[in-house]
Amino acid sequence: MSLTRLRGTLLGVLVFAAALAVWDVWPRGEWAAFYFPGVDHIGRTAWDVWPSSDFLRAVGASLTRLALGYTLGSLAGIAVGLAMGASSRARSTLGPTTEFLRAVPVIAVLPIAIVLLGDGDAMRVGIIAFGVFFPVLVAAVGGVRAVPPEIRDTAALFRLGGVERAVRVYLPSALPAIFAGLRTALSIGLVLVVISEFTGRGDGLGVAIWNWQSVSAVPEMYAGILFLGLLGYVLNVLFLVLERRVLAWHYGAIGERTR
Amino acid sequence: MEGLGKRYSSDGPAALSGVTFDVAEGELLALVGPSGCGKTTLLRIMCGLLAPSAGSVLLDGRPVVRPSSDIALVFQDYGRSLFPWLDVLRNVTFALGRNGLSRAERRTRAESALREVGLDGVGSKYPWQLSGGMQQRVAIARALVSRPDVVFLDEPFASVDALTRAELQDVLLAVHSTTEHRRVTIVHVTHDVDEAVYLADRVLVLTPSPGAVAASIEVGLSRPRTQTATRSSPGFLALRNELHDVIAEGRR
Repeated sequence: MSLTRLRGTLLGVLVFAAALAVWDVWPRGEWAAFYFPGVDHIGRTAWDVWPSSDFLRAVGASLTRLALGYTLGSLAGIAVGLAMGASSRARSTLGPTTEFLRAVPVIAVLPIAIVLLGDGDAMRVGIIAFGVFFPVLVAAVGGVRAVPPEIRDTAALFRLGGVERAVRVYLPSALPAIFAGLRTALSIGLVLVVISEFTGRGDGLGVAIWNWQSVSAVPEMYAGILFLGLLGYVLNVLFLVLERRVLAWHYGAIGERTR
Repeated sequence: MEGLGKRYSSDGPAALSGVTFDVAEGELLALVGPSGCGKTTLLRIMCGLLAPSAGSVLLDGRPVVRPSSDIALVFQDYGRSLFPWLDVLRNVTFALGRNGLSRAERRTRAESALREVGLDGVGSKYPWQLSGGMQQRVAIARALVSRPDVVFLDEPFASVDALTRAELQDVLLAVHSTTEHRRVTIVHVTHDVDEAVYLADRVLVLTPSPGAVAASIEVGLSRPRTQTATRSSPGFLALRNELHDVIAEGRR
């Protein structure tokens, strides 16, 4: 890591530590002290809770559901996005419906999901897929529509059929845009996995946090939330590493262009 | 000789009107005209990418209504026509997609096509790692590798500097004179009169709005042509002056 990068990261860590310090020293009465425990109290609780097998099992369950919902939603989003991006007829046919569904806040869909799919894993995976689908779809449509006309013409001149053209030409060309959508969708997916578990039944990280909240196990609740934040951060970092790998050609190309 | 015959009238808001001409097999035909004369529209119709509002395009007597494996196109903007996610070799083999050749055969064909345009050993590089001139050579190799009957070039050298342009002109001429590619018909669209005379067997002049053929001028200059001798010959100068006159006439 270069010196400037190191300095930047150090600064970021310092800011985070400062925020924690402010949290710690802020004056509290008895009520506040109960609901906003100090950093060391949360830290000690996290130290106990995080490695426990119950907690790890809950995290595993949430991650599995996230993976399933994310995969389903992303694949669907890419497939529909490629179709809508490539064909103006598809855009005009499916456009109004997708726009309407996209406008509905995902959380509002939760009751409908429970009615349709019950209060179990199917509902949770469904909610995640629903929330992941739209940012990926929008990104894919934009990416395909931005494919340069020369590339479209080249694909036509190679006499590629519709599906082959979409998969072998439009998809790679739109991949940078699609990845941007996938990154947004990842954050959304993580939020939804927790929210879908706030009904309290079954297992999962969200269930744990919800249950701790309902029995006023406040330090444990914070420990759960903290873990959630770290999880999101790590997932994002992993995603960026993957993106750098897959889109190496893209970063090379735009790097050259901006030289 | 059987070649291309085109006959069509207006397209859209009369971008082209009554354009009629033939091209012989193996001929290098240059199309010259100012911007806005419908050169690109004409080219797209000839490739089968666009349908004419009237008239038809015939290749060997058969009508051209959609892109076919007998036709290839080299674009002006090489940066936006080569696939950035594939290396050079894969860009060229992509054109061989459905030929029923094995992967090894496709590789060999692509490598020899690259060698023909003077690019050896860059197969594993990505387009953006090459200079503009080299990228355009890749585009030419990609066009030729599938052994089409006709190759269209749409102002292919307009986006490179003058020195590279001269280089690429000679690459094109060299490739066209080899035994494998001698029978390929080349239709070269350009706004550069000198380039047209230098490269072509025959030059068509298009006049703007609506696009129509103003003149067809034979270029009798001997081959092989060189940037120095040919371009300073009296025959060359006479032809380019004649073309400039025709174009000026068309502008009036």
